[in-house]
Amino acid sequence: MNYQRLLNFAIEKPKVIYSLILLITLLSVAMLPKIAIDTDPENMLSQDAPARVFHNQIKTEFLMRDMIVVGLVSKNSIFTPEILNIVEQLTNDILQLDGVIAEDLLSLNVVDNISQLTNEQGVNQGVLFEYLMKQAPTSAKASQEIQQAVKRLPMLNNTLVSGDDKAVSIYVPIIAKDQSYIIAEQIRALAANITAIEQENLAFHITGLPVAEDQFGYEMFVQMGVAAPLAGVAIFLLLWFFFRNIALIIAPMVVAMATVLIIMGSLIGLGFTVHIMSSMIAIFLMPIAVVDSVHILSEFADRFKAGDDASKTIKKVMGHLYKPMLFTSITSAVGFYSLMLTPIPPVKVFGAFIGSGILLAFVLTITYIPAYIARMKPETLAKLQRAVALMEQKGRLANSLEKLGAFSVKRTKLILITFIALFAVSLVGVNRIIINDNPVNWFKADHEIRIADKALNKHFAGTYNAWLVFSNNNPQQQKALDSFSKILNTAYDGETKIAIAETYNQWLKIDSNEKSSFFTQDLLIQLDDFRFSANELEQPWLEQLYNVSEQANNAQKIFTDPEMLNWLAKLQTAVVNKGDVGKINSLTDIISTVNRELNSGDDKDFAIPNTSNGVAQTLLQFQSSHRPQDLWHFVSPDYQRTLLWLQMTSGDNQHMANVVSWIDNYINENPPPIDVQHQWAGKSYLNVVWQDAMVSGMIDSLLSSFVIVFIMMMLLFRSIKYGILAMLPLTFTITMIYGLVGWFGKAYDMPIAVLSALTLGLSIDFAIHFIQRVRELEVEHQSLSKALKAMFQEPSRAITRNAIVIAIGFTPLLLSPLMPYITVGFFLASIMILSALVTLVLLPAILTILARDRKTKNTKKLA
Amino acid sequence: MTINVSNYMMQTVKSSVQIALSFTLLLVTNFGLHAEELSLDNSNTTNVTNNEVTKTVRDIIDQANLASYYAGNDGSAEARIIIVDENGNRQMRQFTILRKDVQDLGDQNMLVFFSQPSNVKDTVFRVEKQLKGDDNRWLFLPALDLVKRISAGDKRTSFVGSHFYYEDVSGRNPKEDNFTLVSEDKTNYTITAKPKDQNSVEFSSYTVKINKQNFLPTETIYFDQSNQAIRQMTVLQVQDIDGIPTVMKSRITNLSNNSYTEMQFRNVKYNLGLPDNIFSERSMRTPPKAWLE
Repeated sequence: MNYQRLLNFAIEKPKVIYSLILLITLLSVAMLPKIAIDTDPENMLSQDAPARVFHNQIKTEFLMRDMIVVGLVSKNSIFTPEILNIVEQLTNDILQLDGVIAEDLLSLNVVDNISQLTNEQGVNQGVLFEYLMKQAPTSAKASQEIQQAVKRLPMLNNTLVSGDDKAVSIYVPIIAKDQSYIIAEQIRALAANITAIEQENLAFHITGLPVAEDQFGYEMFVQMGVAAPLAGVAIFLLLWFFFRNIALIIAPMVVAMATVLIIMGSLIGLGFTVHIMSSMIAIFLMPIAVVDSVHILSEFADRFKAGDDASKTIKKVMGHLYKPMLFTSITSAVGFYSLMLTPIPPVKVFGAFIGSGILLAFVLTITYIPAYIARMKPETLAKLQRAVALMEQKGRLANSLEKLGAFSVKRTKLILITFIALFAVSLVGVNRIIINDNPVNWFKADHEIRIADKALNKHFAGTYNAWLVFSNNNPQQQKALDSFSKILNTAYDGETKIAIAETYNQWLKIDSNEKSSFFTQDLLIQLDDFRFSANELEQPWLEQLYNVSEQANNAQKIFTDPEMLNWLAKLQTAVVNKGDVGKINSLTDIISTVNRELNSGDDKDFAIPNTSNGVAQTLLQFQSSHRPQDLWHFVSPDYQRTLLWLQMTSGDNQHMANVVSWIDNYINENPPPIDVQHQWAGKSYLNVVWQDAMVSGMIDSLLSSFVIVFIMMMLLFRSIKYGILAMLPLTFTITMIYGLVGWFGKAYDMPIAVLSALTLGLSIDFAIHFIQRVRELEVEHQSLSKALKAMFQEPSRAITRNAIVIAIGFTPLLLSPLMPYITVGFFLASIMILSALVTLVLLPAILTILARDRKTKNTKKLA
Repeated sequence: MTINVSNYMMQTVKSSVQIALSFTLLLVTNFGLHAEELSLDNSNTTNVTNNEVTKTVRDIIDQANLASYYAGNDGSAEARIIIVDENGNRQMRQFTILRKDVQDLGDQNMLVFFSQPSNVKDTVFRVEKQLKGDDNRWLFLPALDLVKRISAGDKRTSFVGSHFYYEDVSGRNPKEDNFTLVSEDKTNYTITAKPKDQNSVEFSSYTVKINKQNFLPTETIYFDQSNQAIRQMTVLQVQDIDGIPTVMKSRITNLSNNSYTEMQFRNVKYNLGLPDNIFSERSMRTPPKAWLE
């Protein structure tokens, strides 16, 4: 056997092993400073995922920015000179910050108002365009005028000032989302400097998904620095409790540390970013890495007698444990590797590196640990033995396990019925699972981000954004194209004609899938240029070409079409009335508002003009403001695409998914007057997309790893029966855990989804060790009941000890300020304990029943 | 692109004003200098031609104001603006401007007739520029059949969605700024201006280069409170029209995202003899075709 040679080598040349491990570890540690943190949930989708590509395309096309939302909440109306003055001051301070896109910032003192101008007699003097609040007012009356104005501006009402007038916000667009934590901190500092905020009893809040995400990244970094070492300490203490021998437990600690450092170092060194998932790798690997060592130490302590040759004993122990350890390592690795089947890049990386980490830990364990033990001093070994004996004697663990064993064998029917009942109840629970996630909920309920989120969404229409985009993907232009080419063909030959024909032919060559309108503004500009350089003979047909093109270009501006716009306005009203969406900002509001003020200023004129030209002329007025660029957030310059900005009060994916399907239905039942395609973008929508991908991906990953592990079990035990038996504990555990999730109404989110693969990978270990040992013992004792009795001595203690090591190893996660870590920590600890218990109760019970059946059959045959 | 202006040169109009007052219509410079206090005497002319005499900053500014906004008694021009956003999308608008000075270096009347894109065709702006008090502005929207008076809180709003502000088009009153002559070389004066009322504008200062030959500002850069350059006006082409140096092409760039608007003129004519009565509400609904070619 090859391992025998490796083992001999390790024991004879320990220094080679030591230096090799040290060298690789140091190399990996050298990579650590290159760490790059990534907390962008967008990266849950691969770079080329269609939803993500579209999202980013829309972001660029409509110049949609990542926004930090700053909020001030008062007990009374915010329309007082004092509070408006604070808003002005804070806004001006924020405008000076690096990384803030000043011209897109939204705040009361930088946005425009459009209103009726009346003289002192109340006679209408025309329409007034001005800043809503160029300077903060000094009187209560002036403050109230601003209040009245905001109410009349649908784009601002309930976005910049809450419907109840008690909260005011500043939307701060930033150049890059990875700067949002720094900018948010700077804004916090600016606010802290404005003493008036405190004097006015204002609550200051910052929210917005970019902040939440970036802040999460920051805290994740802190978390990694605290929780991973804490897990190390917890495991160290636990090992000490079990073995009472520092020298001895240094060995598994070395294995754990080396595994974690090499894996994290190579992850970073290979250029992977540390995402929320991969940040948990250290904490996962640490307990898993010591598990095999615990088996070795336990058995070594059992077998080693004073005066024995440690090398010989360890060789025996290793020969005995090598196979189950190999299999448990491979099965655990398979469980994690199966995560690579999910379509979510960070989950793939997580699975790949933990899977490899487990195999690495195995290799380290089977080389380093024997080498280390063989070199231990006899005194130390004697001490170890005494400690173990002491622990075994008074061991409460030992007593309880013996009782548990007796119970499992006696009460087989009760156990079986209970498990079947629990299984059924769990299945019902699984069906109740609600799939939902919300990055803001990654923070604890008392975190300032959660508080801000709650406070601002209570007052405003919502700080979560989704974008519904309508596109004219099929511009009508065939007739115009025909005329164009006809005019061109009859044209007088010359340079101009050749140049235009070249442009036309270039366009014809474009692949039909990527073809858009030929009659673009660029074409018009080109034709217009030619008109000024062409000679007299060319003028008439150039003008014809221009007119044909201009008309075609104009005809394609479907989002100036009143019928289309009225359809959109109706859709908006319907969506908002339905709930879930607090408010929709769109082109139709801009047009209707300007149209109202151009006319009487009364509500009856809050409408879309009757003609396309009327719409275009209204928009020309809107653009004569301080912020003409605002228009292009809602419509593309060619008017063939429009964007509806949905404000939602919750970042729950569930709500987003509801809205998406409701709107799909609405559009089916109320088709638009012009054939347009609707697509979604925005962070809230992307979250839905990756979550769908995750759920289906996790099911694939779970099923495939289940099958692979099942096949491995049948191969390992060379028996279908034992293969099935080995799968039972984990099947029960996974179903029960997810049943619990369903019954408790805990949302199925990212951390919960990942747990399935982990459970599978870890709880199979117990079954393997258990079955392997029972079968050996059965052969040894020639009796199943004797074998089971023996099983509840040392072997069951090793299993339980391991369950405890892993469970306790994960508990530092509970101290985290971040919910995903807490969830993972809590569930993993529960899974470990539960699957150990299931293994120790269910397997003996079933084995006993099976043996009884066999006996009965045999007896019958004899009879 | 270059415009072959000679093709479009209108018949020569005899200009009585021989000093280098150029007409940039409403355009381009940010110096709508209402130089009412300037006297148009010969000493000014001498100064223009004899640059060895060091001028005071006030003289230069006044001279630039003259060059920029008051050329001829009246004028017309076809304008084309191309707005280029930060994604590189281009949008074109075309309009014709008629202008008549009520009084040299005093009040002015203007009409702006839109022709392209066709969905805003026949939209008309009418302006009565008044030195004492706010300008009177009207708007005609044909599709809504609506003439409306417009009032604006300030003059630094966008001109029909372009990077030009209304004030860039109609002229900024030099009385609103304090000027310092920073330097001068062979060709240019460099002057820094600080607004007297910081709250009325979005910049904290600007620096302008004025050509010594024709007194046209050729480049203006605006700075914000932290002294970052935020906006820039550049003259790209100057043409002599009837002996009047005229800015034919200029550009305003938003330096924070490099979006910009180019404004080009064609068919520039001076001293047409525009009658006063065409600058009326009637002309908004019924454009004076004879004067629009």
